[in-house]
Amino acid sequence: MKRVEIRLSLEAVLPLIAVIREAADSLSDDLAAPNSLGDIEPDLREGWREDLVSAQNEAITVLLALFDETFDESGVVGFDADNAEPVLRACAAVRLRLRERFLKALNEEVLESGDLEIESLQEPARKAFMCYLFLATIQELIIQHLDTSILDG
Amino acid sequence: MSTHEQGSPSSAGATATALEPRWQVVVLNDPVNLMSYVVLVFKKVLGFSETEARRHMLEVHEQGRSVVWSGARERAEHYAFALQQWHLTVILESDEAR
Repeated sequence: MKRVEIRLSLEAVLPLIAVIREAADSLSDDLAAPNSLGDIEPDLREGWREDLVSAQNEAITVLLALFDETFDESGVVGFDADNAEPVLRACAAVRLRLRERFLKALNEEVLESGDLEIESLQEPARKAFMCYLFLATIQELIIQHLDTSILDG
Repeated sequence: MSTHEQGSPSSAGATATALEPRWQVVVLNDPVNLMSYVVLVFKKVLGFSETEARRHMLEVHEQGRSVVWSGARERAEHYAFALQQWHLTVILESDEAR
């Protein structure tokens, strides 16, 4: 099984993990993209939402498991066919939540390109934007190296 | 714009289908999800080729929306649900409403 491991700077990443956990916690009973259920038949809507929240929570659990006690010591995270898809989806959910909570003031071009002087932001937007970019980097790594595993899975 | 419908209905089924509204699965633009991510999701969920997936992704990005599938409501809901599991912003539209 193909496996990709990356070693991260604990000094740089550990402060971001708390922000990611907080954003992830806020999604425990809430969808990252909640405005897209209006066209679903009303009698289906609640079950549909519950199933989406459940799938979202499962994926977020897999993402947060990357940053366990072992990570705190080694700074290494690993991706393979088993966790690539849920981590990819969880990163999307948390990025959407970070945008909604902390980054609404940023225009769409900045959000798409990530091209911004971090120093121009005040906390908590500064740390949120760093998390936003960090999670995008994880997504890009997974897509670059494990897309075949996801498509075949 | 191409859309995809699976299956080969019988003539009776085709008649019934013709009387029912067709539903479109529409993906809306968001500034958060990466282009490469959206391409992967289209390939994974809808079975698009790389070329087809990139074309729909660019349509979403440049025009704000793309119809990625159309057909019977039940299957449209299946695709909408699967795309929402990947946190894309998806709506269903029927041709009756247009």
